[in-house]
Parts: sequence; structure tokens; C-alpha cells
Amino acid sequence: METVHKIDTIDRKKRSSQKFAFGFFTFLSYLVVAILFVILGFIIIKGGNVISWDFLTKAPEEGMTKGGIYPAIIGTFYLIVGSSIISFPIGIMSGIYMNEYAANSKLVRFIRIMTNNLSGVPSVVFGLFGMSLFVNALGWGDSIIAGSFTLALMSLPLIIRTTEEALKSIDDSFRHGSLALGATKLQTIRRVVLPMAFPNIITGLILSIGRVSGETAPILFTVAAYFLPQLPGSIFDQCMALPYHLYVISTSGTDIEASRGMAYGTALVLIAIVLVVNLLANALRNYFAKKVKMN
Amino acid sequence: MIKIDAQNVDFYYGSFHALKNISMQIEANTSVAFIGPSGCGKSTFLRLFNRMNDLIPDTRLEGKIFIDGHNIYDKGVKVDTLRKDVGMVFQKPNPFPKTIFENVAYGLRVNGVKDKDYIEETVIKSLKQVVLWDEVKDKLKDSAFALSGGQQQRLCIARALAISPSILLMDEPTSALDPISTSKIEDLVHELKKDYTIVIVTHNMQQAARVSDKTGYFYLGELIEYGETRKIFTNPEKESTQNYITGRFG
Amino acid sequence: MKVIDQEIAALKNTINEMWALVHQQIYNAGEAMLTGDKELAYKVISRERRVNAFELKIDSDCEDIIALYAPVAIDLRFVLAMYKINTNLERLGDFAESIARFSINLPEGEPIDPELIKITRVEEMLHELLGMLSLVQEAFEKESSEIASRIFLKDNLIDEINHDSARIIAHYIETHPGSALAGLYMSGVIRKMERFGDHCTNIAEELIFYLDAKVMKHLGKTEDNK
Repeated sequence: METVHKIDTIDRKKRSSQKFAFGFFTFLSYLVVAILFVILGFIIIKGGNVISWDFLTKAPEEGMTKGGIYPAIIGTFYLIVGSSIISFPIGIMSGIYMNEYAANSKLVRFIRIMTNNLSGVPSVVFGLFGMSLFVNALGWGDSIIAGSFTLALMSLPLIIRTTEEALKSIDDSFRHGSLALGATKLQTIRRVVLPMAFPNIITGLILSIGRVSGETAPILFTVAAYFLPQLPGSIFDQCMALPYHLYVISTSGTDIEASRGMAYGTALVLIAIVLVVNLLANALRNYFAKKVKMN
Repeated sequence: MIKIDAQNVDFYYGSFHALKNISMQIEANTSVAFIGPSGCGKSTFLRLFNRMNDLIPDTRLEGKIFIDGHNIYDKGVKVDTLRKDVGMVFQKPNPFPKTIFENVAYGLRVNGVKDKDYIEETVIKSLKQVVLWDEVKDKLKDSAFALSGGQQQRLCIARALAISPSILLMDEPTSALDPISTSKIEDLVHELKKDYTIVIVTHNMQQAARVSDKTGYFYLGELIEYGETRKIFTNPEKESTQNYITGRFG
Repeated sequence: MKVIDQEIAALKNTINEMWALVHQQIYNAGEAMLTGDKELAYKVISRERRVNAFELKIDSDCEDIIALYAPVAIDLRFVLAMYKINTNLERLGDFAESIARFSINLPEGEPIDPELIKITRVEEMLHELLGMLSLVQEAFEKESSEIASRIFLKDNLIDEINHDSARIIAHYIETHPGSALAGLYMSGVIRKMERFGDHCTNIAEELIFYLDAKVMKHLGKTEDNK
């Protein structure tokens, strides 16, 4: 009876600690979601009422207290596209090189360490570097191209890393199967490995787009205009961008109080853009996942 | 006719001496099984025949391996051309994430075949060769991953046959399969050896006995005994062979 | 087709060939004895080597099938049965040879006294034995244990002839003292033929074991006789 009793208490203890632990974990994960909803809700409530067709299609007016944010939306769009054109191919190809061609050479290990370091560099440093290289040294001035290159540089480590990880997750048996059929390495990568890794690579691209569209510091010194009501005419023009615009009207606008609503509206649009890009990319990811016949 | 002729082959992974002075001749249109405990070098030796070991960094080969009289490790030999002639089936079925049809067509496509009719003909012929055609003819456009393990492995064999190799290497082709699928593949080996030279690595001694004309027993990187399968399994010459095949090993 | 099926079919084929050869050997040995055809007797002796070769081949085929294909259930029983039938057939071959030798050893120009053949019913016995051998072979070919079990009845006649022969031959020697040697030889032949019947029965038992997994040995027959 003594031992039975003992086991009983032990069992009870076991179960209660289990209950407590899982309860705590569940609470934490709900908390994260709740915080997200609070932020979103806060922004939607504060910014929702400024959203209108004019807000989305008009330039800012009256010291950015009225009007819209159209140039900033378009500017951000240009920067996303511009930096993607530069960073996607370079990032993906580097990732392929590092994982497929030179997986364990000293050089690649060095590159890997360096890209990891690069991803830890604060974004403002990228901004400064972009300014000194693209804006000044190359003489591009404050321009979309300079900003795109700066943003691309910043997002490269992420793209390279995720590409590498995506490729690494493809079992070698697929590569061997292809090589054993007389395929070259390039054919193997193009026809077997990349299609399989693509959905995961796209995840990396999505993350990088999210980052590019939200960063302020790298564009601060390289492209962003404080106020530029007309749209850029070429890639060597300056443009407005949502995050910087948000920063400007909430910290150094002509009338901060008056443009408060505008600020929340801008934040809402920025979040919405990131969300739409994510959804789009997700759809793309699913499309490619389906295209490789995994099941 | 001698198809594969390995002469004094030594192989190293880094400083590890994995194969020790192995010489072996394999006749055309026969099946040869390699048996031996794990790590004995049998798979390593098999992978020399289509130079799959080239993919492993820091390895070194000494000696010569002739296929149809040509040393496949000569400088001028193109590995992809060699592998077209020396097909391989792996331990785990590894179909590509493509349709059943495209899996079999893959080898043709990467080797530059464009003729649609020829591709289709070859795919059908190869699937029939591995006795899979009746099971998949209505779902050629389905993913190969929808097939069972045994069907996948037969698909992989069909895939290898599609580019008409003359040698088929099989690296423990049934170790991941159930007994029924295993026996189907074994029957297949018997059929295929009429047209191909088959080298099969297996952990299953009964399988070696069932499917091969000759058997090679490897131990610690050495080829201990190589001869008629009947002879090896009824009256092996070496005591080590006897201990291994009777399960009295170690 | 499964590989083991091919091997088993090949073994069955070889057994059948051996069977036909042994049947022919016994028939020829009997003819040689009854007609005094020494040439035929020599032929039987020289062909005995072929029977032995069959035995060795079947032995090693059985060994190979067991070693290489690990047969189970009906396949295993088949191989085991063939292994034993092989031995029995080889013994039958030996009898054919010894009967042939008996014919050769008879003095030149003195065929066996037809009367001795008649009274010992040796021709009838030979005929019966060949019939038994054909019957088991038929049972083998049709894979019918029912046919095989018919053998057990036939064996009784052989036993009866064998049983009577001692008395008949003794009487013959008393009345034909000049042919005593032939009488003794005949007695030996009949005793061998009786054993011959036993081998046929053994073969039938092995067939039943293979087909029905029933063990027939050491059953029934002893009770019938006593």
C-alpha cells in the first residue's frame, strides 16, 4: 500500500507539472498572436479612417498634413522591384554555388562566415555604405538605383542563406539519381534540385521583400526624398518611400499633430503591402510546390 | 566475354584504405552479387564502376578498371557518357518529383533526345521491361511519389533502362522494400541479365544466392572469395566466407 | 515465372529422364534374362553408368536448390522427395545391373529353363514391377497421390510370389539337380525383385509426402502382412 500510495503522488506530480508546462506554452503562443492583433487593430482603428481613394492616389499636400501618399507607394514599389532584380539572381546563384559546387571548400566556409556577419550588420551601416559607394563614389546621386543596390546588398545574406538551406534540404539521393543517368551537374541542378528547392527559396525571397519594404535607414541616405510630389522619371531620380515617409511625418513633419492620422494610414498601407506581397509569394510558392510532383 | 575487368584496385577515403588490391572480372550478361558485412567495401567497389565515388571529396583510386576494354579512369573519359552506359539503382527508391512518364523520360531528355515519339516509345518499353506498365499505364501523368515503394524502385530501374545501358549496378535495391516487392525485383534481375550485365550489392545472402551467377565476398576491404554462386553457397573455399554465409560471423 | 519454379521444373525434368532410363534398364535386364540375350545384358551394364550420372546430378541439383533458394512448404517437400526418390531410382538401376550380370554369368548356350521361369512366375513378377514403376511415374506426372496410393495394393502380389518362390525353387532343385545353379540364381533374382517392389513403394510414399504432406512410412503395410 505504501508504494502504491507513493506512485500515486508521483503520478499526480507528473501530471500536474505536465499540465502546467503545456498551459504556460499555450499561453505564450496565444500572447504572441494577441499582441500582433493588438498592434494591427490599433493601426487599423487609428489609420483606417484616413484610407480613401484619394489617400492612395494623391500626392501629399499642405506640408504633408493632407492629400495622399501615392508617390511613396510607388517609390516603395520601385525599390522592391529594383532591389529584387539585383538581389534575387545574385543571391540565388551564390547560394547554388556555395551548396552545389563548392560545398566544403575553405573559400566557401569563408564566404559563409562573411555572409553571416553581413546579416548582422545594422541597416544604417548599409545606408552609409550605400551612400559612400553608390551615391558618391559611383556618382549616381540619391537615386532609385543607388537605393535599390543598397537594399539589395542588405537582403543578400538572407537570400543566400535561405537558398543554401533550401538546397541543403534536398536529399542527395535525387542528385545521385540524376547524375547516375548521365546528367551533368548543371542539368541536375536545373531539372531536379532547383524545382524541388524553389518553394523554400521563395520563402527566403518573401522574407527579404518584407525587410526591403520596411527598412528606413538604408534608403535614408541613398534615395528617399523628404517630399517629392511628382513620380520619379528614371532610375536616377529620387523617390519617396513609405517607411521613410512614415518616419518623416511622425517625427519631423511641418505639423506632427496634424499629420498623425496620415501617419497611421501610411503604416496601414505599408503593412497591407507587405501582407499582399506575402500572400502573392505564398501563392507562388504553392504553385511551384504543386508543379514539382511531391505527391 | 569480359565486360568489367578490375585490376589491382586500391581505394582510399582520405587516409582510410577502403579497398585493398582487388582484381575481378565480370562477364557480360551475367549477374554478380557482392556480399559482406557493413563497411566491407562492397558498395564502394560497385560505385567505382560508374565513378559515383568521384562525388566524394578526398578520395583516391589506384589500379585500373576496364569496361569493354577501356579504362574508365583514363583522363579523356567523360563521366556523363560513362554513366549513360553504366546505369545505377540505389538503396532507397529515389524517383524525381515529376510524373511517372517524366521520370522515365528524364535520362533521355538530359542526354539530348528530342524526338517525342521515340521518347514515348522508350518510356513504354522500359516500363514494360520492369513489369510496371500494366500498373501505371493509366496514370503516367501522376506523380511518381504516389507509387508504392516497390513500384517506385521498379520505376527507378525503368528509368535506368530507358537510356539503354549495358551494365546495371544495383546498390542494395531491395533493402527498403517488403518481401513481395523484393521478390518481384529479384525475378526482374533474372529477366534482365539476359540483356544486361548486372552487379548487385546486397546484405541479404539469400538474395545473392537467388539472383546471381557469381558471388564476391568482401571483408575489411578485401575480396576474400569470388566464384560461382552455387559453389560459394554449397562449398566455399575460405572459412571466412563460410562463417559469413552461415551466419556464424564474428 | 519465379526463379525457383524454373529450377523445380528443371529438376522434375531430370527426374523424369532418369525414371525413363531406369524403366528401360529394368525392362532390358528382364528381357535379357528371359531370352538369354547377353548382348542386351551388356548394354544394360554399360548404361548403368548413365543412371549413376543422373543420381549425382540430381543430388547436386537438390543441394543447389536448397542452398540457393531456401525452398519452403511444398517446394521444400518436393526437393526432399526428389532427393529420396533419386536414391530409390538409383537402387533400381543397380538391380537392373545385377539382373543383367546374372544373365551374363549363366553358362554360354544354356538359357534358363523355361519351366523354371514358368513355375516361379518371375515373368509375371517382372511385369508387375514394371507396371508399378509406371504407375508411380504416372502419379508423379499427374501429381496425384490417389494414383500413388494404388501401389500399396500391388505390392502384395509381389510379396506373395516372393514368398512362394523359396518352396518352388527348392522343389525344382530337387527334381532338376543339374540346374541347381540356375535355381539358386533365380532365387537371388526374385529376392532382389521383392526389394525392387519395396523401392517402388518408397517412391510412392515420398510422392504422397510431397503432395499431401502425409507421412506414409512405417504405417499400414506391416499390419497387412502380419
